[in-house]
Amino acid sequence: MIVTPKIGARLVLVVFAGVLLQLSFFSQVELLHVSPDILPALVVSLGLLGGSMTGAVSGFSVGLLVDCLLVAPLGASSLVLLSVGYLAGLYRERFDITSSLTAPLLCMGLTLFAELAFGAIQLMLGVDAPLSILVVRDILVKSIYAFFLGWPIFILIRRILRPALITERSLRRRTPGPTVLGA
Amino acid sequence: MYRKQVRRRRAVLALLVISSFALLTVTYGQTSGGFQRGVSTVFGPLQEVADRALKPARDLVNWVDDTFAARGENDRLRSEVQQLRRQVAAGQVALQRNAQLSKLVGLAPVIPSGYETVTGRVIARSPTIWYSSVTIDKGTGDGVRVDDPVINGDGLVGSVLSATGSTAQVRLITDPESAVTGKVVPSGVQGVIKPEIGNPEGLSLSFLDASKRIGRGQTVVTAGWRGQGLSSRYPPNIPVGRVTEASLAAQEASQRVQMRPFADMRSLELLQVLTGGSR
Repeated sequence: MIVTPKIGARLVLVVFAGVLLQLSFFSQVELLHVSPDILPALVVSLGLLGGSMTGAVSGFSVGLLVDCLLVAPLGASSLVLLSVGYLAGLYRERFDITSSLTAPLLCMGLTLFAELAFGAIQLMLGVDAPLSILVVRDILVKSIYAFFLGWPIFILIRRILRPALITERSLRRRTPGPTVLGA
Repeated sequence: MYRKQVRRRRAVLALLVISSFALLTVTYGQTSGGFQRGVSTVFGPLQEVADRALKPARDLVNWVDDTFAARGENDRLRSEVQQLRRQVAAGQVALQRNAQLSKLVGLAPVIPSGYETVTGRVIARSPTIWYSSVTIDKGTGDGVRVDDPVINGDGLVGSVLSATGSTAQVRLITDPESAVTGKVVPSGVQGVIKPEIGNPEGLSLSFLDASKRIGRGQTVVTAGWRGQGLSSRYPPNIPVGRVTEASLAAQEASQRVQMRPFADMRSLELLQVLTGGSR
């Protein structure tokens, strides 16, 4: 991905809008008693489209913004989401995305990773409260939601960042335009 | 050229990881810093606008969830209504008697004296189960201060963790960092109400006096202790929840009973901050 100032501004807007949408909408709705978490899916999409560095920086920024807005200890979300973004970007750099299921599956897998990693960090920092078995349900259901939400999120972000995507550019160049006769 | 690019990438990644660890080390266990308050202040109005705009969509999704949940709860509620009707009748008799006795001895009704309420709407909520907090659209400009207790129509919800001019962060009683001194009524047994991580409907009342028995269905209110220049941030007698599991073995072995909060922590919309008071 070629990050020009215009694309940088779009990335910033995507991050802000994603975080606002999560805190004001997704965190406040429940299906099967679990709220969806779109932030890992958002970071995965950015990593898949922009590569490991874009993914890592976006993940760090999303985590920092969330922690600031929730007045939570800074750093934990940043660390987890930067890993998620980096891993998604690394996948894109190492493998070809041939199937349309790649993005949602990665969103699901890396959401599971993010939830487990965040839980592990919290436990390492010391949690002075008993742990319910419902934590497992929450993590698993969130990962399933990420599969279904990851797909539209990926498509939407690809559309927003289309001018910066190298593959999309080359595809557009290769596609023959309409002729005078309309053929 | 490629090597240089790889080296630069690794440097950026290392910088981000080190920054995360540094932030975690510096800010863990601290109250909100100026930076976080600044970001909250800037984003407060945006969050409010987003909250209002997304409310219809949110209500629709929650309605679907509630409809499914309501079908399962219907039978349980029917039997509970019958039980509550009997309790209401007994309660009304007790209230009448209490009013007469209060008049006789000149006691004021048991309500937090000197408190004023500020009603706020929830505009944001934490996405993870590891922090249970909500943001409301009232802040220091409305008289809200850090540590003010927060309630809703059902009972205690939490306390104010931090506040900006127009917003306040409320730490719910289901947050792992939360601890409230509670009292079982009518027995008066006191304990500490702690959450159960991952379960918004589960609280535990621990450090109980093992020699006193607590029964299922008993109500737990805030104890509101005071002594030696220190006092609880919560005024006394705010309803918190009801004991749901109180086996004799658990009480003797771990001095703990399970309870369920009166307030539904998953669907908080309007909250009241108790400002002022005699803390």
